[in-house]
Amino acid sequence: MIAGIALLAGIVLGLILRPTVPTWLEPYLPIAVVAALDAVFGGLRARLDGIFDAKVFVVSFISNVTVAALIVFLGDKLGVGSELSTAVVVVLGIRIFGNAAAIRRHLFRA
Amino acid sequence: MTAPPDPPRPDSVRLLVDLVNEHLDPGYAEAAARRGSRTDPRWYDRLAVAVGCALVGLLLVVAYIHTHRGAPQAEKVHDSLVERVRGAQHAGDDLAARVSALQRELSHAQARVLPQSGDLAKELDLAQLEAGLTAVSGPGVSVTLEEPSNATASPSAGPGGGTPVGPANILTDRDVRSVVNELWQDGAEAIAVNGVRLTPTSAVRFAGEAVLVDFQPVTPPYHIDAIGNADLLATNFAQSPVASRYQTLAGVVGIGFSFTDSSRLTLPASTPVQVRYATVPSRPKRHHR
Repeated sequence: MIAGIALLAGIVLGLILRPTVPTWLEPYLPIAVVAALDAVFGGLRARLDGIFDAKVFVVSFISNVTVAALIVFLGDKLGVGSELSTAVVVVLGIRIFGNAAAIRRHLFRA
Repeated sequence: MTAPPDPPRPDSVRLLVDLVNEHLDPGYAEAAARRGSRTDPRWYDRLAVAVGCALVGLLLVVAYIHTHRGAPQAEKVHDSLVERVRGAQHAGDDLAARVSALQRELSHAQARVLPQSGDLAKELDLAQLEAGLTAVSGPGVSVTLEEPSNATASPSAGPGGGTPVGPANILTDRDVRSVVNELWQDGAEAIAVNGVRLTPTSAVRFAGEAVLVDFQPVTPPYHIDAIGNADLLATNFAQSPVASRYQTLAGVVGIGFSFTDSSRLTLPASTPVQVRYATVPSRPKRHHR
């Protein structure tokens, strides 16, 4: 309940403020989005499993975004930026799919 | 691989298995275990969830806005660039049409004013012919220089010990120029490279990767047509060191090199050069244009 309201508030805030993304931050935006989706699906599944923890949710979200961005930043500096962002997207994508499957099993028992 | 039954998996394999099988952050399970049976919510639980969800929403909407705001702008820039290029092309076409119209007008005017026969007319015709101002036809030879079809891997030095060029273009202005000079030496009276007529002020140059003939870019294969005594031209050219060099290069590097004599070649006229400063010293200026 409170999560949905907060999500909506965030969306509205973004629509009102319309912040411009600085150019140096642009390459990390897709990574951050995938990491955020991973955190959301992970949190949802934990909630359904009955082991949701707010602290873990927030910390995992922020640390996932930061670490993913850091990996890509490092890769950019070392010349393997696109490969590493692919790796991050693949790993987080697998997790998102797995969590989505678990959520589906919880909701539909199938 | 023959492994003992159920060996302890190496870490790298476990990493991959975990990646596929365990999607949930282990932190949740640990936190649940730490909490044990205590179920009363801590004071910051709701706040943390709210902040986290708001952040996620903000991030997603920022990414959405960013993606969709950038696209129309890029398209706008692209469109305006395309428009400018089209405009420049139109302007160029218009100018070219104007040039040819003026040229026609000029030749009409010249035909009206200048005598059609007699010594002066002959002299004028000859001068125009030599200056490359009129299209000419006659027997001659055509030489073809072609880039090798399979580009060699290593950059090779240009012929004559020139600067090394990429494998994409082994042939440079040097090659075109040496063939042209050889043809002049062999008795050619008029030469055109890829349909660009050479005049006394023409230069075969090299800019970037393009060969420029009289400032007009030409691309391989290079067809060099020369009008003259076809037999003499062909014989002289075949015996010249230039021809033998390119025969060798054709065998070694794989460039295409061939020449044939032709009973009838037609070369186009060149655009006239404006003579502004040079005058004939002995005679007074005839008329001012």
